[in-house]
Amino acid sequence: MAARRFLLPCVLIALLAVACTPGGETSPTIAASVPHASAPGTAAASPSPAPSFPVTLTDDEGTAVTIAAEPQRIVSLTPATTEILFTIGAGDRIVGKVEDVADFPPEAAAIPIVARFDGVDIEQVVVLEPDLVISAGVGLTQGDAVEQLRRADVPVLVVYPTTIDGGLAGIRLIGRATGFVDAADSLAIAMEQRIDELERLAATATERPRVFYEIDVTGGIFTPPVDSIYGEMFLLAGAEPISGDASYSISLEKLVAADPEVILLGDAAYGVTAEAVADRPGWKGMTAVRDGRIHPIDDILVTRPGPRLVEGLEALIRAIHPELAGQLPLPLPSGSLGPPVPETGKPTTWLGSWPAAA
Amino acid sequence: MTGTGATLGLWARGRARPSLARRPLALAALCLGALFVVIVAGVAAGSVAVPPIDTIAILAHRVLGLDLGLTWTAAQETIVFDLRLPRVLTAMTVGIGLSVAGATFQGVLRNPLADPYVLGTASGAALGAAVAVLLPRVTLILDFGLLHGLAFAGALGAVLLVYRLSRVGGHGQMTSLLLTGYAIGSLLAAGLALAMFASGTNLRQIFAYLLGGFASASWVRFATALPIVLGASALIAIRARALNGFLLGEDAAAHLGVDVRRERAILLGLASLATAAAVSVSGLIGFVGLVAPHIVRLAVGPNARYVLPLSALFGAILMVAADLAARLLGDIPVGVVTAVIGAPFFLALLRRTRAGYDL
Repeated sequence: MAARRFLLPCVLIALLAVACTPGGETSPTIAASVPHASAPGTAAASPSPAPSFPVTLTDDEGTAVTIAAEPQRIVSLTPATTEILFTIGAGDRIVGKVEDVADFPPEAAAIPIVARFDGVDIEQVVVLEPDLVISAGVGLTQGDAVEQLRRADVPVLVVYPTTIDGGLAGIRLIGRATGFVDAADSLAIAMEQRIDELERLAATATERPRVFYEIDVTGGIFTPPVDSIYGEMFLLAGAEPISGDASYSISLEKLVAADPEVILLGDAAYGVTAEAVADRPGWKGMTAVRDGRIHPIDDILVTRPGPRLVEGLEALIRAIHPELAGQLPLPLPSGSLGPPVPETGKPTTWLGSWPAAA
Repeated sequence: MTGTGATLGLWARGRARPSLARRPLALAALCLGALFVVIVAGVAAGSVAVPPIDTIAILAHRVLGLDLGLTWTAAQETIVFDLRLPRVLTAMTVGIGLSVAGATFQGVLRNPLADPYVLGTASGAALGAAVAVLLPRVTLILDFGLLHGLAFAGALGAVLLVYRLSRVGGHGQMTSLLLTGYAIGSLLAAGLALAMFASGTNLRQIFAYLLGGFASASWVRFATALPIVLGASALIAIRARALNGFLLGEDAAAHLGVDVRRERAILLGLASLATAAAVSVSGLIGFVGLVAPHIVRLAVGPNARYVLPLSALFGAILMVAADLAARLLGDIPVGVVTAVIGAPFFLALLRRTRAGYDL
């Protein structure tokens, strides 16, 4: 009988202990950072012959996905995947995509939308009769869709990287899944090289400023933790990131105590300006505000694990180390790789001209 | 007759009963017909237009093996049979489970405001689901899913906890149960808040569960939940006499030969089982368990022999219709639709009752 009195406290403590363990983020990152067996080294040496289908691949959630034949009708459920598919030359095979605030390239705008941020319209996907669906993981709202599509015998590949290496591995995986292995491998190699060059350039800077990246300040200050893809990008760009906690927030006191030297406005697209930042109570004393080092940044470029991640890194370096801006953009790699990316009205992307895919 | 029994009966006697009420069997037949119509409508409607005649043909082919001489694409068949039908049938099952449980809780606890979640089931299920989201992704046997399995376990665990804790204390058993349910529910809600804080980017998944919905419906989940819900409901329906006794008060029930302690434990246990099975496949959908039994009582009076089966039918109709409306209105959460239907009805009900409420 005495033992029963301890049952309740033990159960409650166990519940609280389980609730306190840091969350499911570990599972996608573990899968993403493990290099796939078919990945880097082999493709770097010499272009491999086109893969023969059927092929069985391991996606970012560790599920084995078998693709019977080269996919001709692809549904892309993440914006990064849409960009990657167009860049490697599979763009005309996309029959459905997820809604994207910034359609890139412009041809992507013409593709019918079958999913939005808050969910996938499974019926629309099924009626398009796709032979490959590339999706984000369970952490977003696409988990049910993945399950139901797999039950309907549609191959679903989960590509949801949360690190830069994961992003490159994802590009290679998409290449293998769609039969555009050479283009995808070339893209990944080019990105890797360019990122290394930019890292080396950033390392030549004289200082390593403390950087605060503002995601949103309505209803609390939201900033990414240093172990996110943001953190990786900041470290590569030669900055000292001020980290948020696991739920992407930070208190104003901590921020003032950390005293950022550069403030990056990830919410610039929503109308937040440098003047507005200076007007906020309590922010005036920060070094960044006094020196006027507040810069708008395109949040999508910094986080989307697609071909434009390199542009995001360049933008970060420009904002954090203005003295290096004169050396950017870096000269295009000789023997440029990949299919042509059309003019968007912005400066030509780093990919330059891309020879026709094999 | 005192208290709630009187109140519940007064609703029926205080106004002219429609003639249907004297023929509960006719009402049941009507409800069955309505249920059939609503199920077919639910399967026929969705974001992809499948012609109704094709829908019926697909159903006839897959369910009855009939060939009606029409053709359809494989995609249409997948949509109708693998996506919509399990969803509609799951909604029906959840509607049955929640209404029967609601009717039982209202009867046993003699509280017209009691809904299936009154003993902390909702908080327990939500905490179970949140814990499942925090753990690495694992699928339980039978493809049921870790989230749904832990939600079921959490719901039952919460009720067990409440029941054990309410055995002490000097209050009446019912008051003790309700108050303990509230306290444990609050504690588990705090645990849920902590889990949501720790979940980081997986917050959306937990939130999707809290809002409730049938997006994750599948044949496996339906086949697992249906026997539990139907079995518990049938066992409760057998005990309708005891439930009627409870309406009169514990002393009167005891005098009528009802084994109060045993029947209370059995009825609450079965109702909690039905609720746990329902919330494990659908998330937390409110108002149906509260409102459906009341509407049925307005029609046929408080006799549990009629209220229980009719609540089951009416709850099923309500839930399938709410899911259909939610899908057609742009995939809004089902809980929003049930609240929009249920809350005004409940307010109207409150205004009409002349005798007022007492415990």
